[in-house]
Amino acid sequence: MLVPMNIGHVVRMKKVLIPLVFISVLSTGHEQTKAALLDGFLGPVERSLAERVEKKGERLTLGNFYTPERPDSHAPIGVMQDHTHNEGEFMMSFRYMHMDMDENRTGTSTLSDAQVLSQFPIAPTDMATNMYMFSAMYGFNQTVTLMAMLPYVEKSMNHVTRPGGQFQTESGGFGDVKLATLWRLWAVEAPSIGTHRFHLNLGVSLPTGDLQPLDGTPMGVQVLPYPMRLGSGTVDFLPGITYTGQTPDYSWGLQALGTHRIGTNKFGYSLGNNYNITSWVARRWTDWISTSVRFNYRWWDDFSGADARLNPAMVPTADPLRRGGQRLDIMAGVNFLLPEWKGFENRISVEGGAPIYQDVAGPQLETDWIVWAGFQFVK
Amino acid sequence: MRRGGHISGIALVVAMLGNVSGVLAYEIGEVTSGGTISGKITFQGAAPSPKLFPVNKDPEVCGAERTVNEVVVRNGLLQGAVVILEGVKAGKPFIASGYRGEPPGEGEFRYGGGEDISLEILTKGCNFGPFTGVLTLDQPVRFLNQDPIKHILHSVSSRDDKGLILRTIHNRELRPDTSAEQTFYSSKLKRDRVVGIHCNRHDFMQSWLYVVTSPYYSLSDQEGTFTIDQVPPGQYELLAWHPALGLKRHEVQVTEGGEIEASFEFVGK
Repeated sequence: MLVPMNIGHVVRMKKVLIPLVFISVLSTGHEQTKAALLDGFLGPVERSLAERVEKKGERLTLGNFYTPERPDSHAPIGVMQDHTHNEGEFMMSFRYMHMDMDENRTGTSTLSDAQVLSQFPIAPTDMATNMYMFSAMYGFNQTVTLMAMLPYVEKSMNHVTRPGGQFQTESGGFGDVKLATLWRLWAVEAPSIGTHRFHLNLGVSLPTGDLQPLDGTPMGVQVLPYPMRLGSGTVDFLPGITYTGQTPDYSWGLQALGTHRIGTNKFGYSLGNNYNITSWVARRWTDWISTSVRFNYRWWDDFSGADARLNPAMVPTADPLRRGGQRLDIMAGVNFLLPEWKGFENRISVEGGAPIYQDVAGPQLETDWIVWAGFQFVK
Repeated sequence: MRRGGHISGIALVVAMLGNVSGVLAYEIGEVTSGGTISGKITFQGAAPSPKLFPVNKDPEVCGAERTVNEVVVRNGLLQGAVVILEGVKAGKPFIASGYRGEPPGEGEFRYGGGEDISLEILTKGCNFGPFTGVLTLDQPVRFLNQDPIKHILHSVSSRDDKGLILRTIHNRELRPDTSAEQTFYSSKLKRDRVVGIHCNRHDFMQSWLYVVTSPYYSLSDQEGTFTIDQVPPGQYELLAWHPALGLKRHEVQVTEGGEIEASFEFVGK
């Protein structure tokens, strides 16, 4: 269910969106601005590289963000905002993500249900999340790529109670809409050194996800606790930076993205900030298939404030100070480049993996495995 | 006061980023008793071998493999060098002409001539046209893709004569059987005089153009000769440029009706 935004949201959105729109509009003099923002600012580095490649009879090219049509020209499907588009080019994507969480843990130790029930009357036992993400990217000019992401989320969580009862709660609906701008910073390439590209990610998340999903519990129909909610309720600032590299048979990347909450939501709390660093390497085996390995590290803070409708003594998922944590996942993926159809470049990708380290302010449910699948087409 | 300052600042930024097209500072007029400069471009040493490129995309149109012969030398004479007379502010109109690419490429640089250079780049057979050419800044260049496949136009500019550091200017799709106009703005190229046009999908598609400001230029022919006529009397700098060999300069003094011989020599590695 889409949540109507109050005036506070609108004011906070304006604070973030107006500067983004302003700088985007300025860059519409695209014939005048540089394709990449740092063109020319790295003169000594560029000259040094040029001298190096000249010895091999090569030329150094700057600012070329063209991504060749190859299976690994996009990052593994679990990575977003990994590439930019040329002016006028657009891409539509559909992604499906499933995350399975089972058992509780605190710190790096697993807890039994009995251990959780010794502290709380109710313990979550497992949770499944399905996300269907629709996204679009558009090359606004040679510097800026615009991106919009609309997730539809389904969640279900099973619980046990001290008396031995069991119950399940479910929620579903659209999550927070994310709008992002990707700014080309610098790109350099030559046959002997490969291709290296950097871009800046600046975006906002809008509070469109449902903050008060309701479902039946042993205490009757209740507002569900924090992990079952579909949005943050705040306007969030999404900064980041992305580096990608490529040689004829390999590609790789490193991306750092953050989520900074602005203010608190109408229920008096804000989710914790979170930070995500991901790094991958892909091998192109043929013109149409590549495989990848990726590490994803995520760190997220506890919440600020609390929703007064929840009793944090009842279940750990209602405690805003048991929400922080960090996790390192290892993922394996495969990308398929399909034959071009009516001028559309098509890709199907799958990626799956599991945490190899997780440390949470528990009791919290621990992540068992994650799988992504997606379809992308570019025109 | 403070608000006004902000507005001025914004206006300045907008003006800096705005579309302020440069104007070709060349006036067309009648040239009476103009002089003529002619000469030969010679090449000493061994010319580099043609570069062989396997064709990975669209071999049904481009062929299984292609070669790029950057330095074309016959009997010690260099073809395709661009000779430019610098510093001519007024004179003859631009001349209509056309230059075809090396077979099996069928591309063509077509210069419409008249008040401006009116360059059209007719892409055909996975070829933009000849390896070398000229263009003017701040005037649209029309790219016609006559192939049934798409090309990705990647244009670059370079400040150095051999194009060792290339900066991306345009990067756009040229769809099959369509045309697109692209302008090389002086505000963006600044002092860059070398422009490369490449296809990001077909790496053997590459041509190099020198930025000219007047019609006083020539490309050396199969015999390595060039001619620039109707030159208003005066002292000028005559340049000979080749993207793989660099730039040579001569001072020339043109007199009324005078005929000047000026030759250049490039040396291979």
